[in-house]
Amino acid sequence: MRNPPVEMEPEVIEAEMVLPTYLSFKKVQMHEKYPKGQARGRHWKHLKQIIQAENYQNYPPDEPNYVNIESPPSMNPCKKICDITGFEAPYSDPRTTLRYANTEVFKHIRLIPNESVQRYLALRNAQVVLK
Amino acid sequence: MPFVSQTSLQSDYTLFSSNCPIVIDNGGSNFRIGWAGETDPRIIFRNIVQRPRHKATGETVTIVGDHDPALMKYFDCTRSSPRSAFDSNVVYQFEIMEYILDYGFERMGADGSQVDHPVLITECVCNPVQSRSKMAELLFETYGVPSVAFGVDAAFSYKYNQQLGICDKDGLVVCPGFTTTHVIPFVDGEPVYKACCRTNIGGFHVSDYLKQLLSLKYPHHMSRITWEKVEDLKMEHCYIATDYASEARLFQKGGKEAEDKTRCWQLPWVPPPVEGLPSEEEIARKAAIKERQGQRLREMAEAKRSSRINELENELQGLEFLLQQLGNVEEKDIACFLAETGYVSKQEIESSRAKVMQSLRKAKGEPKGEQAETEEKVDPSAAEKYPLINISDNMLTPEQLKEKKKQLFLKTTSEGRQRAKQKRFEEELERERQNQQDEEKRLENPELYLEQLRAKHRELSEKVEQRKRHKTNGNHTNGNHNLSGGVGRGERLNAAQKERMRLLTTAAFDRGKGEDTFGARDEDWQLYKLMSKDNDEDEEGPDAYEAELARISSRLQDIDPNFVSKSELVPFQPVVEVPSFRPLSKEDFQIVFGVERFRCPEILFHPNLVGVDQVGVDEMAGVSIRRLPSRSQGLNERMTNSILLTGGSCLFPGIRERLEAGIRMIRPCGSPIRVVRASDPVLDAWRGAAVYAASLQFPGQTFSKTDYYEKGEDWLRRYTLRYTL
Repeated sequence: MRNPPVEMEPEVIEAEMVLPTYLSFKKVQMHEKYPKGQARGRHWKHLKQIIQAENYQNYPPDEPNYVNIESPPSMNPCKKICDITGFEAPYSDPRTTLRYANTEVFKHIRLIPNESVQRYLALRNAQVVLK
Repeated sequence: MPFVSQTSLQSDYTLFSSNCPIVIDNGGSNFRIGWAGETDPRIIFRNIVQRPRHKATGETVTIVGDHDPALMKYFDCTRSSPRSAFDSNVVYQFEIMEYILDYGFERMGADGSQVDHPVLITECVCNPVQSRSKMAELLFETYGVPSVAFGVDAAFSYKYNQQLGICDKDGLVVCPGFTTTHVIPFVDGEPVYKACCRTNIGGFHVSDYLKQLLSLKYPHHMSRITWEKVEDLKMEHCYIATDYASEARLFQKGGKEAEDKTRCWQLPWVPPPVEGLPSEEEIARKAAIKERQGQRLREMAEAKRSSRINELENELQGLEFLLQQLGNVEEKDIACFLAETGYVSKQEIESSRAKVMQSLRKAKGEPKGEQAETEEKVDPSAAEKYPLINISDNMLTPEQLKEKKKQLFLKTTSEGRQRAKQKRFEEELERERQNQQDEEKRLENPELYLEQLRAKHRELSEKVEQRKRHKTNGNHTNGNHNLSGGVGRGERLNAAQKERMRLLTTAAFDRGKGEDTFGARDEDWQLYKLMSKDNDEDEEGPDAYEAELARISSRLQDIDPNFVSKSELVPFQPVVEVPSFRPLSKEDFQIVFGVERFRCPEILFHPNLVGVDQVGVDEMAGVSIRRLPSRSQGLNERMTNSILLTGGSCLFPGIRERLEAGIRMIRPCGSPIRVVRASDPVLDAWRGAAVYAASLQFPGQTFSKTDYYEKGEDWLRRYTLRYTL
């Protein structure tokens, strides 16, 4: 028994894609819990804040918790591949710090505008961030 | 598309007793819900929520999961984007979670006043207690669930496969998920969370990497490269190379094998309609239309002219009538009579009458011929008009002298005008003659002519560029370092700029005797005039070259089919840009990806390719084994003997061999390594959970509302499921 919330086109009703506003098995309905007009973004805590609030340092360190099961950085030297083509890249451009595989790619690097350069660097999380 | 959602309304909710648990696999990509004891979840959908506005009614509605894009046209989705309840793999947005659970339960056919079944729901490894408690609260308070249990999806998958015999009771589970990858060791059938390991790379990052790479490679097709399409591409075409370096070399060589491995995505493209040479009738038709238009214009001009003639004639008649009347009126009354008409004196009326007659004549007669005649008539009369010039000074009175000066001035100016006109006329003749010569040359020998023209163009453009470089490098030495190779080149200032610098420095520092007296004298300010004049002089020179260059380029454009004007090729354009002289072809609408096929999933093994400073999947196994508390030799061997691959992102072809090779590199030589894939990496987690929930000891592992409130948060923190029942 669905009662779609508003008058809708027949195919939309048939697809049953819209969530009804009243659900019988709920003790508290959504519109009662989050009344209309109130700021909807209830400022839920993001993961970083949740972890901070957990206070993992108060507990024994050998108990597994969300933070200490993270993997460590890699022991192997980092693999260098060309930012543009994906081949192996022994060289890097001193001006833009992009890595490149051969002279053609280098020519291309020198031609592209700065925003593209930053986007390529952002793939590697090496872009310039102004704080 | 491998991941398909099923969301049909279930009708047998009431057939299940209150003891039958509901099993939920709350994953980063998909939400799966079903009954315990069954082999497949009933409902599967993408774990996202959108809240668009319905266009017709203006109501904001909630849509959970992904739906047919054709139906989305009824909704205004500009302000709402799909949102997920997850931040990494932890649930943090419980409003969205509630919408999702609403939809899940509703699709299951739930009715009654509350959801009266125990619920088993999956969470991430070592879920923070805040998230856990909020989830429990949501289930207890809002849905009235009697009891709840939390479990880890990878563990359920392992247990399920263990029962199937695919892996042993000691082993490792490797689970690349949507946002994270976990490696969990199992000892005696129980997961050892202490030794578990998590890297924050998953299928989401692979898709994102692919999307960015394609967008950067094909910037003008960016609107086509959507998230959903990229995910499709990833699932269909991406694979993991056994050895990245050799595969990359293969593509670099560009041989036939590389060609075979390259995939090409053709975007829809409509070829422009071919314009054939206009046929005879086309030409005739167009000519006729032009003729008609010309005719119409001529008629309009004619009509205007005749109306103007009429006007002028009327005016003339009126003025003559006035004059006549004036003649009839007596002397005394002239003043008031004139005042009525608005003219001040008789001469005025006469002069305006003369003017009207002249314009009438002009409008009626042949204009050009008349003008030429009138001009010529003026010239001989010029000699008469300036009678005083020829008489020498001492014979004239002061007044006459003034008159003479005026006449002299008038004469010289009119002569000057004559001379200028003459020169212009001659220049035009000259240019006409040159053009004719050019045309003849071209017709004689087109090839040679073209060559000469091209050579001239090249020379001129070089000269112009050189001058430009000199100029700009004088001004832009502090500028953008991205100017192609501008540093060091052309910094040698030319003579004018050197002079300017000298002036500036001497002006500023010359009077170094402690006092700066610049500006006290007026002559000092002449400095600025000198400086700016230097600048101007510099700029006048190349203009002649540039004008010549422009003329030649236009000629070349007309006759040379291959000519691409240099000024169009602005240096800062990406290489794949289509030069605008060539019509767009089928190839421009193809997106080719070869290297990206195996470059993107590579980040699972090397997260530092995307800047995440953690170990990849193969090394994680090593880390995890090292972290095990009890280290007996036999245990390690048993671990590597049964490594299970599960999770959505392990569907890449080639991942099994790669992982095996990777683990072989870090384990001692000769140790047994066996990597197996789960029977169904995507659904096994849910299946394992369903089997678990159907067992008899399951109620012992759940906790109820009273437990939750009495025992408090600390207990909840330590709550873990026991997997062997």
